[in-house]
Amino acid sequence: MRGIPKHSQSRSESLVRMKSIVKAFSGVRVLHGVDFEVRRGEIMALMGENGAGKSTLMKILVGVYDDWEGRISIDETERRFTDTREAEKAGIAIMYQEINMVPELTVAENIFLGREPCTWGGCVDYIQMNRMAESILADLHFTVPVTTPVSQLRVGLQQLVEIGKALSLNARVVIMDEPTSALSKREIETLFSVIEKLKSRNVSVIYISHRIGEVFRVADRVTVLRDGRTVDIKHVEDLNRQDLIGMMVGRRFDQFFVKEGHPEDDVVMRVEHLTRIQPNRQGKPLIEDVSFELKRGEQLGIAGLLGAGRTELLEALFGVDSENTTGTVEIEGKAVHFSHPHHAMDAGMGLITEDRKGSGLVLGMSVEHNMTLAALKAILTFIFISRKKERNLSKAYMNRLSINVPDLDNPIDTLSGGNQQKVLLAKWLAIHPKILLLDEPTRGIDVGAKHEIYLLLSKLVKQGISIVIASSELTELLSLCDRIMVLREGKLSAIFSRDEATQEKIMEAAAPVG
Amino acid sequence: MIKTRMNVVYASNIKLLFRRLGPFMGLIAIFAAGVFLNGSTFLNLYNQLNVLGRISIIALPAVGMTLVILTAGIDLSVGSMVSLSSVVCAMLLMERTWTKATSIAVPVFVFLCLVIAFTLTKRFLRRHISNSKVVSLFSLIVGSSIGFMVFLLMSRQVATGFKTLTVLLVVPVLGLGLGTLTGAVIAKGKIQPFIVTLGMMSGAVGLAKFIAGKGGQIHPIYYQATGYTAEGTTQMAPQSFDMLSGKIALFGMDLFPITGLFFLAAVLIVHFILTRLRLGRHIYAIGGNELTARLSGVRVERVKILVYGISGGLSALAGVLYCASYTQGKPDAGATWELDAIAAVVIGGTSLMGGRGTVLGTMVGVLILGYLSNILNLQEVPSEVQDILKGIIIIGAVLLQEGAVVRWFRRLKK
Repeated sequence: MRGIPKHSQSRSESLVRMKSIVKAFSGVRVLHGVDFEVRRGEIMALMGENGAGKSTLMKILVGVYDDWEGRISIDETERRFTDTREAEKAGIAIMYQEINMVPELTVAENIFLGREPCTWGGCVDYIQMNRMAESILADLHFTVPVTTPVSQLRVGLQQLVEIGKALSLNARVVIMDEPTSALSKREIETLFSVIEKLKSRNVSVIYISHRIGEVFRVADRVTVLRDGRTVDIKHVEDLNRQDLIGMMVGRRFDQFFVKEGHPEDDVVMRVEHLTRIQPNRQGKPLIEDVSFELKRGEQLGIAGLLGAGRTELLEALFGVDSENTTGTVEIEGKAVHFSHPHHAMDAGMGLITEDRKGSGLVLGMSVEHNMTLAALKAILTFIFISRKKERNLSKAYMNRLSINVPDLDNPIDTLSGGNQQKVLLAKWLAIHPKILLLDEPTRGIDVGAKHEIYLLLSKLVKQGISIVIASSELTELLSLCDRIMVLREGKLSAIFSRDEATQEKIMEAAAPVG
Repeated sequence: MIKTRMNVVYASNIKLLFRRLGPFMGLIAIFAAGVFLNGSTFLNLYNQLNVLGRISIIALPAVGMTLVILTAGIDLSVGSMVSLSSVVCAMLLMERTWTKATSIAVPVFVFLCLVIAFTLTKRFLRRHISNSKVVSLFSLIVGSSIGFMVFLLMSRQVATGFKTLTVLLVVPVLGLGLGTLTGAVIAKGKIQPFIVTLGMMSGAVGLAKFIAGKGGQIHPIYYQATGYTAEGTTQMAPQSFDMLSGKIALFGMDLFPITGLFFLAAVLIVHFILTRLRLGRHIYAIGGNELTARLSGVRVERVKILVYGISGGLSALAGVLYCASYTQGKPDAGATWELDAIAAVVIGGTSLMGGRGTVLGTMVGVLILGYLSNILNLQEVPSEVQDILKGIIIIGAVLLQEGAVVRWFRRLKK
């Protein structure tokens, strides 16, 4: 029976070494000779802005791409994988940013997918398989029965299953691509303890993340990539936050973003007793009795743990699930009831969802068509879409938000995360909103683009647009918002003004009681 | 402000090129094959226009199917809709009293006229009057009086025999009605289009057989000029109906098939919808990402209902043209046409996943299929072999478009 593998070799020798890696897509170089190295039992953080080449580098390592130049050696022998299975055999497992499992299958079935232990008759030996899965997961503090379908697990637990899968492959190197982006604070702690455990078993981890704090917590060394080149490889102890950000963006940030200006006095939106029940009409409501006001030109933050109802609140305001929503909403003193998002849009509201690819963009469409999708009314001549008006509109927003795109007709998925987010902002600014709802507006985008979006938001606020931002990054809310409301299990637990708010106070208001 | 580096992930250009130009390259290839194999027999104008005439009827459901597939749906009921409407069309033309055909087609037509008049009036009035009760009441009065007038007009024609123009209006509206029904069940009930249209496919054929009577008999059409008299009927079809299967004089010869005009008009109109109307943009958005579309204010249900309605209407129009071309209404006229329509759409480069494709591609797809069978007919290839070749072409076309062939080739080179 296999448990967590133990590797006896000494710690400091190098396990994976990538030398002068060059990779081009359609003749355009994205990696210009990157060097990278991981030692045995080491937690190596791989950092860089979006588009720096982190994911590409990892995909080369595990054999997703096979047309590259350079050398990869594993255990001092040169290797070149042509698909991920070969890499798995050599002990390299990757956890992608999006969870890669079959939701209907059980935990054990997912772990052993494609390599199920079989009885002599060729049938799957479920008893053996479940026992093996249990023994692997027991070490990860995974207490749910292994016969549970993965779809019933929360994201954090699903990630543990992925790690379990990597371990079952006898992996010596586990690559984690943004593993914490969908996790709650407590789940992140569990993940970190698992990483520590892996390290104690001499398993190496390549940890890709945008969150600088995490890197300082878990990593031994950091490799920073910028524009497809290795900037530096350093021990974490020799670095501080500012240095690291500086290495990533190529210059130092003198300070973090600080908001200026104050909201006006008149109330744009008044929400009273907003309640949204679950679609099956059972269990606890998603939102319960939430009341608040939004002033003109205000930036109102929504904080809360995962599952506290941040997203659900924004959706309810936008008329997404009106059958299950009760309560009153007034906009500029007029009671409104939105039964479809287009009603909300007519009233001057826009929603940028947290899931850019899943519910924000239409990936098959061009940049321009994505930008004008919500504001087609504005570019009509009689009832026909005017190409000229469309081009003028999208050009105007492209310049105004400095969206970096060579051709507006390019498919939207050729843009980086930051530029995609700016396209979404443009899309909603084009309807001339009074109120803009933003859900995790800077998730998965690099530091530079983040800063640009913060600047943009504060510009919008000065023009009298009111903004509601839901975010899991407290530093973001603290630096951006005039007021921060905290949700706890669907209920409003506190509202802090800018001066009162601190990370500690917010965390305390967000933490579940008992 | 910090300048973020432009980050373009270069998609495989070859793949994109294949997807965009693939159908046209296929058309050129098959045209070249035709010239190579059959020379001037294939190339001459008469043969070319003959192909156009043959494909035009089956192209109409394919055009409607394009819209449906672009929304990531599928419409399996188009063939049955052709069958049903061909039967209804033949019976409307040939029988004078209230038959099963009239008692289904006329009420549907009247009802839809009522609904359309009602909604249009309501929309117009809502801009000027704020009291919603007054608006509804007034629109109901306008709607029902228009409905009643239409009913009076219709019942006069029931007695005197249907005119060609009336048939061209009533039968497609019947298809539009049934298609709208399918669309409503799909959109409001949130049921998979495959299942609902499968049900409609079976239901419409059943209805066609039921209306035709005697377990689905064929209803021939007779014109005065032919001198034949149908047994048990006293009616002759108006001569103008025969014109639908006729040809327009070109260079002093009767060449251009009238059905081809319908085909070209349908392609142009749908192309216009897709490229220049909000509806078209909404169709692409729904197929690309339904959730995004909804959150961008697209009324997804409405668009879906409309799309299935258009598909039903175009199929029914094809049924009328079938009736004219083959001088009969047949309860299995359009059997398996849904598969040909889907094949044409797919060969034309439209993705079954929705959100990507054009109606011009579908036109090319229809032409490819038409040329293929024309060439094989000229070569006197038996029809069984033709079917096998057609199957290979369909799969091959999609493999090419998805870039699979390019990938294999690359791997072979290594």
